[in-house]
Amino acid sequence: MIRFEIGIVDTRNVLKAILDAYGYDFKDYALTSFKRRIELFVANEGLRDIDTLIGRLQQSKEYFERFLQAITPETTEMFRDPSLWRNLRDHILPELTKGTTRPKIWVAGFDSGEELYSLAITLKEINLLNEVQLYSSYISDFTLEKIKGGVTDIKQLEVNEANYSRLEGKGSFADYYKTANGVAYLDNQLIQGVNFVKQTPAFDQGPGGVKMVLFRNQSIYFNQLLTDRSINAMYNALVPGGYLILGIKESLENTNSNNKFTVVNESDQIYKKKTL
Amino acid sequence: MYKAVIIGGSAGSFQVITRILHSLPPTFPLPVLLSLHRLKHVRSGFVEALSIKSGIPVLEPADKDQIKPGRAYLAPANYHMFIELGNKIALSTEEPVNHSRPSIDLSFVTAAQVYRDKLVGIILSGANRDGAYGLKKVKDLGGLTIVQDPLECQVKTMTEASMKLTKVDHVYSTNEIIKFLQSIK
Repeated sequence: MIRFEIGIVDTRNVLKAILDAYGYDFKDYALTSFKRRIELFVANEGLRDIDTLIGRLQQSKEYFERFLQAITPETTEMFRDPSLWRNLRDHILPELTKGTTRPKIWVAGFDSGEELYSLAITLKEINLLNEVQLYSSYISDFTLEKIKGGVTDIKQLEVNEANYSRLEGKGSFADYYKTANGVAYLDNQLIQGVNFVKQTPAFDQGPGGVKMVLFRNQSIYFNQLLTDRSINAMYNALVPGGYLILGIKESLENTNSNNKFTVVNESDQIYKKKTL
Repeated sequence: MYKAVIIGGSAGSFQVITRILHSLPPTFPLPVLLSLHRLKHVRSGFVEALSIKSGIPVLEPADKDQIKPGRAYLAPANYHMFIELGNKIALSTEEPVNHSRPSIDLSFVTAAQVYRDKLVGIILSGANRDGAYGLKKVKDLGGLTIVQDPLECQVKTMTEASMKLTKVDHVYSTNEIIKFLQSIK
């Protein structure tokens, strides 16, 4: 348990400093978890207080990028919710590529690599990796570097492996990574063709004409306003009939876009954009 | 006078929780927040098992669900459950805390920050120290703190850790916890 605690005023001061210095507006992030991420960052960096944090953020763009990486929680595991990945592999992805040349798929959350690599492996195992165009959002340059290098936490391998075996993957999870000097590296050949999109919290960037969006466990870090706005951005990016996939405990009923989608699979939170 | 009850438990707490939920009248005036350690990859079954004998509906909330009185909210598998200002559930997939996700500490700390002296925090049987710090925050912010009597706990690590960190208001047997909750009007 991190014992460093800040108040709401401190949180607002950090928000304001970031907005003034870099134009990144986090005011519509969910307060409790955002405050907690700042607390964790301050504690992990060994900073004395919030003013020290604000000073460093203002002084260095590189420091700010590190902060961005830390402030957006990592996905923490590959193939989270194996039943979804089974569903994607056996039904959604094969259907997606039927009748469309290289459909676009967008990993729209601030992924730390786990979703993207899980998707790439799933596609590869059904020989569709080269039949789609992948787009992936990232928020921090450090996160991008980590994803491109395939760097992953060696302690997570066991969880990833267990998830992979639950979805009954075709090969062995060990086929997809190597370890060296205590670090695990996912096979970054898997993501060679991926288009990376730098994303601000405003969700004003992203591809159009998309057939599937993975946006899992992202809106849980947003307040109502940003949740509605980001889901709306996904709606606009999708073609009619395109798929939106949310985290299993994110409900479209708690957004203002509920009537714009139909439910494909409730327990895996798969939705389809309505055809007008 | 109270606005919410939060209960944390781990190994050995299932039967206690079941008995507590069974004893609550459908008119119970507060929400009951349940932060219990559970298997991360088993998504279904737990909430159903708790519901069978419960006097109030037991739900596994989605993110941003409004918290309502007379309902129990069970932290979903593999998520942390926070209480957000505006009396809403907020979920998180961030790193496990005390090797746990859901972490009892995180649920208790965020509930304490929202409900302050209008919160009742209860720690039950459990095999690790998760929850001890959270209960301390409940106490620090003016809430009422209760632990299940360690003599009665199947595993007493959690309750003893809580008592070490906090001068708790009450050490109660399951029957006494039930009597106390039933007295809340």
